[in-house]
Amino acid sequence: MDKKRLSELVHQSDAYNAYESDEVLTWCGGCGNYSIQNALKRALVLQKIPPHKTLMCFDIGCHGNGSDKIEGYTIHGLHGRVLPLAAGASMTVDPDIKVMAFAGDGGTMSEGINHLIHTVRSNYPFAFFHHDNQNYALTTGQPSATTKKGCPMNAAPQGVMTDPINTLQLVLSLEPSFVAQTLSADIDHMTDVFQKALCHQGFAFVNILQGCPTYNREATNEWYLRHVQRVEEQKDYDPTDIWAARRIVAQKEKIPLGILFLDTAQKDFLHTLPDRDPASHFPTREVIPRDITEFLSALE
Amino acid sequence: MNLQDTRLRIKIVGQSGSGLLTVGEIVSKALQRLGFFLCADREYPSLIKGGHSCYTINLSESPVRSLSDTADILVAIDKHSLVAYFDTLKKEGIFIHGYERTAGIQDILQQAEKKKIQTVFAPSRKIAFDNGGTEQMANIILTGMLWKVLGFPLKKVEDLVREKFKNKKKILDIALRCLGAGYDAVDSQLTIDVPVKKKKTLLLDGNQAVALGAIQAGMRVYSAYPMSPSSSILSYMAEMASRTGIIVKQAEDEITAAQVSLGAMTAGTRSMTATSGGGYDLMTETVSLAGMIESPFVVLIGQRPGPATGLPTWTAQADLNLALYSSHGEFPRIVMSIADPGDGFESIQHAFNLAEEYQVPVIVLSEKVVCESKMTVDSERFKKIPIRRGLVPPEKLSQLKSEDRFKITPSGISSRWIPGSSETYYFANGDEHWEKGTITEEADEVEKMYQKRMRKEETIREKLPPPEIIGKEKQADISFVGWGSSLTVLKDIIEDYRKKGISVNLLHFRCLSPLNKKFVQEFFSRNSNIHLLEGNYQGQLGQLLEREGFSFRGKLLKYNGRPFFLEDVDSYIRDHISQHG
Repeated sequence: MDKKRLSELVHQSDAYNAYESDEVLTWCGGCGNYSIQNALKRALVLQKIPPHKTLMCFDIGCHGNGSDKIEGYTIHGLHGRVLPLAAGASMTVDPDIKVMAFAGDGGTMSEGINHLIHTVRSNYPFAFFHHDNQNYALTTGQPSATTKKGCPMNAAPQGVMTDPINTLQLVLSLEPSFVAQTLSADIDHMTDVFQKALCHQGFAFVNILQGCPTYNREATNEWYLRHVQRVEEQKDYDPTDIWAARRIVAQKEKIPLGILFLDTAQKDFLHTLPDRDPASHFPTREVIPRDITEFLSALE
Repeated sequence: MNLQDTRLRIKIVGQSGSGLLTVGEIVSKALQRLGFFLCADREYPSLIKGGHSCYTINLSESPVRSLSDTADILVAIDKHSLVAYFDTLKKEGIFIHGYERTAGIQDILQQAEKKKIQTVFAPSRKIAFDNGGTEQMANIILTGMLWKVLGFPLKKVEDLVREKFKNKKKILDIALRCLGAGYDAVDSQLTIDVPVKKKKTLLLDGNQAVALGAIQAGMRVYSAYPMSPSSSILSYMAEMASRTGIIVKQAEDEITAAQVSLGAMTAGTRSMTATSGGGYDLMTETVSLAGMIESPFVVLIGQRPGPATGLPTWTAQADLNLALYSSHGEFPRIVMSIADPGDGFESIQHAFNLAEEYQVPVIVLSEKVVCESKMTVDSERFKKIPIRRGLVPPEKLSQLKSEDRFKITPSGISSRWIPGSSETYYFANGDEHWEKGTITEEADEVEKMYQKRMRKEETIREKLPPPEIIGKEKQADISFVGWGSSLTVLKDIIEDYRKKGISVNLLHFRCLSPLNKKFVQEFFSRNSNIHLLEGNYQGQLGQLLEREGFSFRGKLLKYNGRPFFLEDVDSYIRDHISQHG
């Protein structure tokens, strides 16, 4: 984390406070959602995005209970469906509105996994924050598609029988434009990664390794901190090399953190539309009576 | 021959892939340009090649809105279809074919003789080869033959063939030769007066009309997943996108189509999606979310028979219950039906206004026969409905409080503004919430918010236009109650019966929910011989009305995939007038 950049926050306490909610937080003590939301507020402030220029779309899960705990425009949608909901919003909002989506590993990697695939493929212009705590915490700790094999969980008392999905392998196989991984135990790192995701033009996939002190006793913050390695500390890591990224997420020695892959040449969804100018994109103001005479006269 | 008070009924039959649609479209367009009113529908199986299809055209000098199941002229492109449809040709009708190996159709030719049918034949394969074409040109040769039989000048249909093949110069030359050769090979059988006073009409199907209505209404995002019979809306939107600038997205499934549409609507533009019953099943959770976050949402269901895959290319009115009762939880919704292209153009514009003003999902029920039937529509029916968005006016955006978004109001309607348009933000929360959108589980708040949402139903009920009465208002000899496409059949029937001195009327529901009970009561108190007319087995609207205390003398229900033909209603009336009288 650029400490100098972070120190700018000290002078922006008003901007930060604008995001602070009076609502009572309802997460467990030590839940990763606290730090994720803090890092998000920091990143938004540092990117100079005020609350009324956000549209934050939440899935269902523990993270979603934060949909009214951060100030700004929010939509709290359905389980597994936040990606297409945010996709519709992202093709609609004025260029100065930042669309963000948040979902857990249950909604993303099971209920809505088809949406993930096609959202990456469509490269919609929004940032997606995947809260991966490796379980269905809000429904009291059932295994998810990212739970490690063998872990005893609610509804899997003898341990999970199947191997987890390697989320990053999957996403990287789809030719994404932005893939990053960060850790809920490291607010500064999250702040940095979130800022980069917010700046990205296209679909930014941010995998957050999230601690769940109540139901995930295997991958604790301490465990993660022992196993992670930042890609920028690796010699010659090239985040524009898709195969470097695919190799680093395939190996099992260290968990990579940071910007794993970035392709800035890829056009986002709005730039692929042949009949529209992304520079003057205002579907909200285009709801006006249209002249359809030419279409009608073709039917005479 | 004068078609002022009567209709001429043509059926063109052939295998799917035989070019039947081309014949149907060329002939329909040429007839429209001569000044006739017409209604045309295509029956076809759910496959791309093979199986037999039928293109039916009914034309007249006065408006034609529905179809007859009988043909005055039958044009057969191949043997299989000819055998399947021959019985629909009336006595003394005209049978046009190009089938050379007549030994194979001796049965048919004998039947034709018995029924005093005039057979018109020219060897279509030979003509095609002689003119440098392949067997595929049989459809164009038969077009020429049909046009000659009708007695119209060649030029009128030639123009259409030119338009059809304008980008395929080589085929065009062959097609024109084949058309001419077909025309010259037979004699005229009819002399039909061409309308003197031509009314300006448009020839289009229901899906095109809905697409145009949506464009007119300022829709800017269309997202859908292909499903018969709604798919042509997606194609049409995509084809026009270069001129409309509409964002057209073919989604990965119907869940996505609905969510993208809801996301776009909630974010502040107009969007819609369309599907059929099976696709709508997948959209229902999204409809429920729209109900909860009080976001506008517009979805069209092009009905076809179910359950499951059912009959993918045929018609039905069996998804009324689906539209009324789908989705978990309780929330107000508006359910509308469309009867024909003119209706579709207008109704979809109302659907957007209603969805935005009342912040509810609007479900528009169409039917395969509406989606795909082409009809000449008086161009005056293509009216612009003023756009009403129900948004907070710009000058008030700075005075808002977050709590205004879901404020408890007597009407149930609270202020709605586009995300980002005001510094005052809100939470559109799918969890139960209080006025700003913050989650609440407090019993008192839950009750108040629940009641606020549900109050919108009463507000909407009072504002919606009542059902429409077609024909005389009271004491009809026989009355019908229906919705959707049955309107078109009944309009034609009512006129026919008026001439016979028998009064028929119809209570037609364009808006099916919320129901205007008072108006229905009046209709039932003023008419006594009332029958239900629905394209489903259960009589779904009937059941709804019966629960409200209304009862029917009889029910005309049809669920075999075919639309109501004139004959269906005609024979039902004959049975039930005599019983009644």
